[in-house]
Amino acid sequence: MTSRERVLMAMRHQRPDRPPFDFSWGFAPAQLHRFQEATGALDPEDYFDADTRMLRPSPTRLATDYSRYLGELPPGAHVDEWGIGRRPTASPDAAHAHLDGFIYSLLGASDERDALDYPLPDLDADYRYQDFAARVAAVQARGIAALAAMECTIFEVAWYMRSMERLLLDFADGSPFAATLLDRITAVREAQAGRYAASGADVICMGDDVGTQRGMLMSVRMWRTWLKPRLARVIAAAKSARPDVLVFYHSDGDVTAIVEDLIEIGVDILNPVQPECMDPAALRRRYGRRLSLWGTIGTQSTFPFGSPDDVRREVQARIEAVGADGGLFLAPTHMIEPEVPFENIVAFVDAVKSST
Amino acid sequence: MTDTLLCEHRLRQAVLDGDAVAAARLAAEGLAAGVPPLTLLDEGLISAMGEAGRLFEAGEFFVPELLVSARAMKAAMAVLEPRLADQPRQSAGRIAIGTVAGDLHDIGKNLVATMLRGAGFEVDDLGVDVTPGQFVEAARAGANVIGVSSLLTTTMISMRAVVQALEEAGLRDRVKVMVGGAPVTPEYADAIGADGFSDNAGGAVTLARRLAAMARPS
Repeated sequence: MTSRERVLMAMRHQRPDRPPFDFSWGFAPAQLHRFQEATGALDPEDYFDADTRMLRPSPTRLATDYSRYLGELPPGAHVDEWGIGRRPTASPDAAHAHLDGFIYSLLGASDERDALDYPLPDLDADYRYQDFAARVAAVQARGIAALAAMECTIFEVAWYMRSMERLLLDFADGSPFAATLLDRITAVREAQAGRYAASGADVICMGDDVGTQRGMLMSVRMWRTWLKPRLARVIAAAKSARPDVLVFYHSDGDVTAIVEDLIEIGVDILNPVQPECMDPAALRRRYGRRLSLWGTIGTQSTFPFGSPDDVRREVQARIEAVGADGGLFLAPTHMIEPEVPFENIVAFVDAVKSST
Repeated sequence: MTDTLLCEHRLRQAVLDGDAVAAARLAAEGLAAGVPPLTLLDEGLISAMGEAGRLFEAGEFFVPELLVSARAMKAAMAVLEPRLADQPRQSAGRIAIGTVAGDLHDIGKNLVATMLRGAGFEVDDLGVDVTPGQFVEAARAGANVIGVSSLLTTTMISMRAVVQALEEAGLRDRVKVMVGGAPVTPEYADAIGADGFSDNAGGAVTLARRLAAMARPS
């Protein structure tokens, strides 16, 4: 059985030879360095034979000047194609090298005009997808499932520009500025989703963090007003381009309260299902074949603080509780941070590969 | 119906409703009607923010509701402040709060700082990426509670260094340390020698009150 067959079977609730796995959110730089030292290999996905590869559009040719939104940047800062600035941590600890903070581009915006004028990236432009279908096909030709990246779909890019505090106040105030900004981002995402689906990608990975460790960040009512209809439009754009494309939705934290809504608008797969605050077995009992789970091995608990045996036990326990009839994809619930012992990563892969 | 309510109670409701315009207006009306500014502060604003924290802990309020209540409280405070300046007031405690070195996540920390201010604490917000030395300086400057936040297990493990730095500076017996953030557990707080843990902004205020009372020199 190829990796791709395994992923597609599992995500369509048929039982594959074993659950598929990957390292969804990758290795932190210090962890990647340790991996490379230990193995002499460059890429963990190749080395461990992960069942997926993530693909992105080609780089933009735009060189939008966001300086009027960001002001003077501190040393070491960089700006992404959404105009969001990031500054590195001042910590000299190599383990912290991947941590950065935002420089908000729309913090000072006040009215709808500001949302209309803001330059958005050209993620809807043809040239950025010219070779996308060929890259998808190349991954699939190796027997691997092709994922298309669209994390931070709407809410997160919006608050990375505005700041979370201001954007949530905008939501509470019913702000036309926020509605317009979100609508414009949504339109870009709809175009991107349609292209991804048409390219033959197996899974489109969407996501916006709306959960906290102890429940929703905002009320379900506010989420339904501001985010659900827009996410629904993005998913509809993907599924109208290709009905059998799988939609993966990521939110950190406990989002139990909106799972039914997510399924209703077309989400097939929930990620990362942090076992520290969501119960994978309860989700399986409640939603059955309507939802696949992707993740479920805790990076707040077992990966950093457990032993290799603890990791093996968690993998086994999850397969027994959730994976008997497919619908389970095993992965660390977030980036593998530097404090995770390398043996735990090896134990995770071994446990998955030796399972049935 | 509302006319029969005391000014401070209407002010409290305006803050809970997140209505900044009404809160500022009611604070001004209360002062004009001769209600003592401390009554408007205690029974209106601090009481409202306490209730907001309770509703947050109970899962009835979420982050946006806390933010709009805090904004309404600030609008009313701006009206009361000139009249409070000459009033003797007992602070609930003095707390220095920050996100631990390496970590730049500040949403949870900011929320806790806001709720502590709403509860009458003097809050020294040290920001993000705060070194153990900066926490020590804040304790030397008079903070009797230190609040340390982290979002990641990578940086959570540096919380222990804050407790150790306070010990090495000889300050540990006069300051209390409270910790929080997504991966932090009560067991972890115990293991590093912190004095308390909360998993939410409402609970953090209750904890800070208890710790400030314990830290206060007898």
